[in-house]
Amino acid sequence: MNVESEIGQEVPKIAVDVSSIRSDSTDESLQTGESPISVEVNDLSLFYGEAQALNQINLRVPQKKVTAFIGPSGCGKSTLLRCFNRMNDLINTVRITGKINLLGEDIFDPSVNVALLRRRVGMVFQKPNPFPKSIYDNVAYGLRIQGSFSKTVLDEAVEKALKASALWEEVKDRLNESALGLSGGQQQRLVIARAIAIEPEVLLLDEPASALDPISTLKIEELIFELKKDYTIVIVTHNMQQAARVSDYTAFMYLGDLIEFGDTKNLFTTPEKKQTEDYITGRYG
Amino acid sequence: MQNSLLITEENRRFEKFRLLKDRIFSFVMGLGGVAVIAAITLIFVFLFYSVFPLFTEAKVGDAKYYAHESSDDILYLALEEYAEIGLKVKSSSGYEFFDTSSGDNLLTGKILSENTSSLTAFARGDLRSRVLLLGTSNGYAHVLRPDYAISYPNDLRKITPKMTNLFDPVLADDNFAPIRLIAGQSVEDETTIVTVSSDADVSILGLSVESSFFEEEANVSIERSNLNFEGKTISQVAVDVEQRNLYVLFSDGTLELYDVTDKTAPSLIDRVKAATGEAKVTTFEFLSGGLSIIIGDSAGNLSQWFPVRDKDNIYSLVRIREFAPMEGSVTTIAAEYDRKGFAVGDSAGNFAIYHATAEQRVYFGARDGLVASFMSMSPRADAVIFGLPDRKIGIFEVYNEHPEVSFSALWNSVWYESRQEPLFIWQSSASNNDFEPKFSLTPLAYGTLKATFYSMLFAIPLAVLGAIYTAYFMTPRMRAVVKPSLEIMAALPTVILGFLAGLWLAPLLEEKLPGFTLALLVMPLLVILAAYLWNRIPKSWKRFNLEGWEALFLVPVLGLAAWLSLIMGDFIQVTFFNGSLTHWMSTEMGITYDQRNSLVVGMAIGFAVIPTIFSISEDAVFGVPRSLTMGSLALGATTWQTALRVVLLTASPGIFSAIMIGMGRAVGETMIVLMATGNTPIIDLNIFEGFRALSANIAVEMPEAEVASTHYRILFLAALVLFLVTFIVNTIAEVVRQRLREKYSSL
Repeated sequence: MNVESEIGQEVPKIAVDVSSIRSDSTDESLQTGESPISVEVNDLSLFYGEAQALNQINLRVPQKKVTAFIGPSGCGKSTLLRCFNRMNDLINTVRITGKINLLGEDIFDPSVNVALLRRRVGMVFQKPNPFPKSIYDNVAYGLRIQGSFSKTVLDEAVEKALKASALWEEVKDRLNESALGLSGGQQQRLVIARAIAIEPEVLLLDEPASALDPISTLKIEELIFELKKDYTIVIVTHNMQQAARVSDYTAFMYLGDLIEFGDTKNLFTTPEKKQTEDYITGRYG
Repeated sequence: MQNSLLITEENRRFEKFRLLKDRIFSFVMGLGGVAVIAAITLIFVFLFYSVFPLFTEAKVGDAKYYAHESSDDILYLALEEYAEIGLKVKSSSGYEFFDTSSGDNLLTGKILSENTSSLTAFARGDLRSRVLLLGTSNGYAHVLRPDYAISYPNDLRKITPKMTNLFDPVLADDNFAPIRLIAGQSVEDETTIVTVSSDADVSILGLSVESSFFEEEANVSIERSNLNFEGKTISQVAVDVEQRNLYVLFSDGTLELYDVTDKTAPSLIDRVKAATGEAKVTTFEFLSGGLSIIIGDSAGNLSQWFPVRDKDNIYSLVRIREFAPMEGSVTTIAAEYDRKGFAVGDSAGNFAIYHATAEQRVYFGARDGLVASFMSMSPRADAVIFGLPDRKIGIFEVYNEHPEVSFSALWNSVWYESRQEPLFIWQSSASNNDFEPKFSLTPLAYGTLKATFYSMLFAIPLAVLGAIYTAYFMTPRMRAVVKPSLEIMAALPTVILGFLAGLWLAPLLEEKLPGFTLALLVMPLLVILAAYLWNRIPKSWKRFNLEGWEALFLVPVLGLAAWLSLIMGDFIQVTFFNGSLTHWMSTEMGITYDQRNSLVVGMAIGFAVIPTIFSISEDAVFGVPRSLTMGSLALGATTWQTALRVVLLTASPGIFSAIMIGMGRAVGETMIVLMATGNTPIIDLNIFEGFRALSANIAVEMPEAEVASTHYRILFLAALVLFLVTFIVNTIAEVVRQRLREKYSSL
C-alpha cells in the first residue's frame, strides 16, 4: 500500500491557511541578493532518453534558508532535486544540458569528483533507509567513508548529529542496537542525522515526511526549522501546507517547467501566475 | 425473497464439485509434504537400523553341561566349525569326539598305545591348523590333528571326525626325561616343536618333510638345538604360527622372545618384565594370526604385546595396550579363530570377551560361579566350551557379531599389529583370514574435509565475487544472459565433471603445472592492467556507454593471460626444472605428486558447486534494496565503498547461506572424488596428493562388503555420518536464511 497517497488524500483541497506561514524572507532580499546564493541553476534541461523532464530551469537557492519545491506528481521537482547532487548520473539514459553552480563551482564539470560533491550536498529520501547496522554505525558511516577518524572524533560527531536531529535523548542508551529497531519517524530523523554528520553545505530532502504519521511529520518539520540555522535546505513536498509551514521560499513546478518561484508568503497569498493559484487552491494536483 | 447465501438447486452441483476439488487438492498437497518428510525420516531410520547392531553389547547364552564320568583330568577341549562336534583330550591320553547337542560319544581313541609312558605335557598349535602337541613321561613329543570330513548323505550334513598322527613320535629329550612343557606349530611341511624338561632345559626341534616322486615314504629331516636356563623356572613356552618367534615365560614374570627362524641357532630378541607390579603372570595366549600375545596375571590385568620394529630394524617386545582388568586371577584365555578377539575366565568365576584392536570388553559377567581351567572358542566365535576343575564340561553360545567397533577404533589412532606406532588407517579387507581389519573413519572424514576445503577454496572467491559483480555492477542486458547460463551449469552431471577431471584435467595439470601456477599471478596482473587501460579510454568513446560491459571485454584478456601463462610455464619448466616440474618436486624437494590429486578435485567440485553458490549469492546481492545503495552514494561514498560496506554487509547472510549450501553439496559429492582421486585413504594436507572421501569409500566398498558384516555396517555408519554432516550444514544455511528474512523484512 502506498502511504504517500493516503496522506495525499488528507490534504484538503482548499487554500492554504496563510497564518501558518512562518517565512522570514522578503522578496527584496531575494531580488537584491542580500541573502547569498547557495545553488544557482541556469537553463537546466534534462531528458530521460527522448522524453524531456525538465525544461530550461533557472533558479537561485538562497543560503541557510528553506526552499520548497511543490507541484503535482511527475512535474519534475524530484528530478530537479536529484540534479543538485548528481544522483541522476545513476540512470544511464539521462542527458543534461545547462548549468548548476554550487557556491560558484560548476558541478557538471568533468573534473568534479561526484563523491566529494555528494559529501557537500547531503540528501534524505522519501522512505527512511537506515543501513542494517547499529544506530552509531549509521551516523558514523559518512565520516568513516571519508577516511579514518579516531574514536573520540566519531563519538563527538555522532552525538552532535543526533542532538541536532533531536534524536539523542531517545537513542543515547542504545547506540549499539540495530537501527532497524527504530520507528519510522525515528528512522527518518536518524537518516537526517546521518546526512548532517558530515556537515554538508546543502541538505536535500525528497518528501522526507510523506511516509510518516502526523506526529512524526510534525517532529521532522520542527527539525527542518532548527536545521536551517546551519544548512541550506531544499525540500520537495507534495503537501502544500507543509511547504507553507516550513519553507522561506517556494518554487512551483508544472510539467517540467518552473512556473513561479518566490517568497513563500507571497506565493501562497498572492501568486502571480494563474497555474500557481489553481494548484494551491486545489483545482488540480 | 430468496436468501442468496443459501445453496439453491441450481448451484448445488457446482458447489459440491468445487468443495470436492478443494478437498482433493488440499489432501494431495498435504500428502506430498508428509511423504517428503516421511522419506527423509525413513532414510534416517534405515541408516540407524543398519548401524545399530554395531553398538549392541555381546550376549552369552545359558551354559549346558555334559557328564564326564572318567576320573581323568581334561587337557584339551575344542569345537569344530559348526560347533556340532566337540573334542576332549584326557590326561590318560584318551580322546573323545562327542555330539554337542546330545552329549553322545561319536568316536573314542587313545593317543599312546603302549602303557610304558603317560602324558605329561600338552599344547595347542595355531587354532586354524588344529594341531595338538603332547609330551610324554619318556621324552617323546606327539603331533596330532583332529580332522572333520563333511559328507551329505540324503542331503543332510554329516561330519565324520577322526584323529590323525602327523608324525611318528619324536624324541625331544635325549635323556628320556619327562617333558614338562611343550609348544609348537605344524603348517604344511614345516613343523617346530619346543619342549621343556626339568626346570629349564629347552629343546627346539625343526622338522621338515621332504617328499619326493620316487619314494613312497616322505623323508623327515630334523634340526635341533638346546637352551638352558640354569637356576630359573620356565612356566610357559609358545611358538608363533610363522615358526619364527619363541616366547619363554619364567616364573619370576620375565618374558623372553627368541628368534628361532634357524632352529639350530636361536637368538634372543628381547627380554621384558611382563607382570604388572606384584602380580604374577598366570598365562598368555596368541591372538589370531600369532603376531600378538595376550598376557593375563594374578591380579586380573590383561595386556597385549607384540614385537615392534624400530628404524634400525631392531625388534623389541612392546606392551601395546591394557584392557579392563578381571576381578580375580586370570585362569584361562581363549582366542577367536579369525578375529582379534579373545575370551577370558578368572578365578572369581567371571567370564569376559574382549576385542584387542577395538580396545574394549564386549561382555563381562559371572557365569554360575564358573571357574574355567580350560576354555576354547568355536571357530566361528559363536560358542565357548570350557572345563571346570571338578571335571565337568560345559558349553554356551555367544552372540558377538561386531566386537571390532568402538569409538577409539573408529576415530582414534590405533596401534595395529606389525606397525611401528599408532596410526589412523582404513583398510577393510585383505587376502588372508587372520588379517586385522582397520576401520578408522578418520582418514575418510579427513578426505571429505580436504575435498570440501580445496573445492571451497576454488569456488567461494569465484562464485561470490562473480555474484557481486553480476548483481551490482553488470549491465542488466548482460546479466540476463550470464545468470541463466551459469545456473544451467548446475545441471551438468557430476559424472561428466569427474570424467573430465580425471582423464583430461589431471594429465593436463601434471604436464602444465608451472603454467597453471603462473596463471595465478599473470591473470590478476593483466586484469589490473586492463582495468587501468579501461579508465584511459578516450571520453569520446563514452557515448557507447560501456559501463557494466567490462566483463565482456575481460574475456579476451583472460584468454590472453591463460595463453601467456602456459607459454611461459612451458619455458620455465624446460629451462629450470629439466622439463618436468612435478618430477623435479618429487626428486629435489620430496613433495609427492599424484596425477589425480586434491587440486584437480578441488577444481572439479568447485566447478560443480559454483552455480549453486553463485545463484544464491547473486539473488542475495541483487535483493539489497536500492534505497540503501542510493543512501550510501548520497552520503558521498564511492560505488566501491557502497558495495563493500552496505551491499555486501546487507547481503552477507544470504552469501553465507549460499556458501553453506554449496559446502553441503561438496561434502556429499561422490562421482568427482571417486573418479578424480586415487582413493588412497591417507591423511596428508599436501594439495598434490589424493585422498579417499567418505562418499567415495561407500561407493567403492559397498558392492564388495558382505551383507550384515561389520564392514557393511561401518559403511552404513559412514553414510550416516555423511548424512548428518550435510543435514547439519544445510540446516544452518536454512536457519540463517530464515533469520535473514526476519531481520531485513523491514527494509
